Amino acid sequence: MDNSGKEKEAMQLMAEADKKVKSSGSFLGGMFGGNHKVEDACEMYARAANMFKMAKNWSAAGSAFCQAARLHMQMQNKLDSATSFVDAGNAYKKADPQEAINCLNAAIDIYTDMGRFTIAAKHHMTIAEIYESELVDIEKAIAHYEQAADYYKGEESNSSANKCLLKVGSYSAQLEQYPKAIEIFEQVATSTMDNPLLKYNAKEYFWKAALCHFIVDELNAKLAIEKYEGMFPAFSDSRECKLLKKLLEAHEEQNNEAFTEAVKEFDSISRLDQWQTTMLLRIKKTIQGDGGDLK
Amino acid sequence: MSSDFEAYEQDFGTLTAEITNKIGRIPKLAGEEKTQLVLNVDKQLEEVRELLEQMDLEIREIPIQSRGMYNSRLKSYKQEMEKLEKDFKRSRIAYSDEVRNELLGDDASSSESQLIKLREERAHLLDNTERLERSSRRLEAGYQIAVETEQVGQEILSNLHSDREKIQRSRDRLRETDANLGKSSRILTGMLRRIIQNRILVFILGAILFLTIVLAIYFNLRGH
Repeated sequence: MDNSGKEKEAMQLMAEADKKVKSSGSFLGGMFGGNHKVEDACEMYARAANMFKMAKNWSAAGSAFCQAARLHMQMQNKLDSATSFVDAGNAYKKADPQEAINCLNAAIDIYTDMGRFTIAAKHHMTIAEIYESELVDIEKAIAHYEQAADYYKGEESNSSANKCLLKVGSYSAQLEQYPKAIEIFEQVATSTMDNPLLKYNAKEYFWKAALCHFIVDELNAKLAIEKYEGMFPAFSDSRECKLLKKLLEAHEEQNNEAFTEAVKEFDSISRLDQWQTTMLLRIKKTIQGDGGDLK
Repeated sequence: MSSDFEAYEQDFGTLTAEITNKIGRIPKLAGEEKTQLVLNVDKQLEEVRELLEQMDLEIREIPIQSRGMYNSRLKSYKQEMEKLEKDFKRSRIAYSDEVRNELLGDDASSSESQLIKLREERAHLLDNTERLERSSRRLEAGYQIAVETEQVGQEILSNLHSDREKIQRSRDRLRETDANLGKSSRILTGMLRRIIQNRILVFILGAILFLTIVLAIYFNLRGH
């Protein structure tokens, strides 16, 4: 009951705001404090949008916010305009992902214009997440994550940059762009190796990089493992490294069962996640493919 | 008649006691003594058998009503005798075991107790194996938990790192804002000063103008 009442109020406000904008467009209005009217109209749009949000009418809220944002641009209030675009994006996220992305892109343009790269990077991440979850367009998601990582690097927030880079890496490996993935994982691993807070994560990144090497070519994997052990001695103690060595052996002997057994043993202690299981499955398939038709 | 039976019973008791005694001693002996003892026990067992037969005959002479008790007693005596015969046989076979045991310093006396011991040992070992398995299972579970804890720790550390950077950035921005605020407050004070200066100037000019007009009118009136 309350919500529908709010909606009606919101529609009324929108109508009023429209009228104000129109009226300010005429010459007379422009002379007698047109700016004042436009500001009022902006505020009314914002209030109307909030009421739509309360009534859970997300697309109407989004469009109201967009209107407000455009008016702000007219008045050269870049900051306000950008915030309104972001609000519009959030509202559209629940209803129409494509529109949300458009609004967020507009907001990002304004922010990069003003030189606020951190917040632009954050919004790139949001867009990438939408692509990940709702629109399932992995390539675009990768592109946005990369942009975000670049901006973060520019602003010296390395941990956020690493977070984005990791996502880029896993998705590229999923899309079989292995050299890129390998490079990213190695880069992240070397940069976290020295940091006392993050060095416990480094072994996980080396493990992922070695997996990607493995899929490409077994010899690469061996060289890579040796290189990593040289760079980062603690890697050789980790269970993942031992598993890798076992897998290399099994691959050399084309022994499917030893492979599966080693993987099972590792899995019984700490579960393998989705991405890792996919990669290991690909490696296993290469074994089976090389082993010929011996089933 | 029943007194005869009781006499037989007493004889039976003494004989069986002797036989048990001798059977106990047989395994520990060897050679001449042993063969003699064995013959002895054989003779006594024969006597016991004859006793039992006589007891049987006695029972048949008793009226049927009271036969029940004597019958059951006779049965138990027969069972005892069979047991004694079995022990006797076993004691003769247990020769090699006994000597071996003495050689190796055991005080196990017969194969039956050995069997019991073996069974006990096996139960003990099974128990141990089960305990070992249980402990190894618990160790594995502990290891799993340790690995999970490590992973959780990793995540927390990376979160902390990113938070640290955020806090550092906010602190820098705050300092910048502070400096900007200081600058703007200085500019505002400058503006205020200018305004006051302007106002003073305007007043002075106004005063001068006023004076000039007054002087002009004065001189005009003077001039008339």
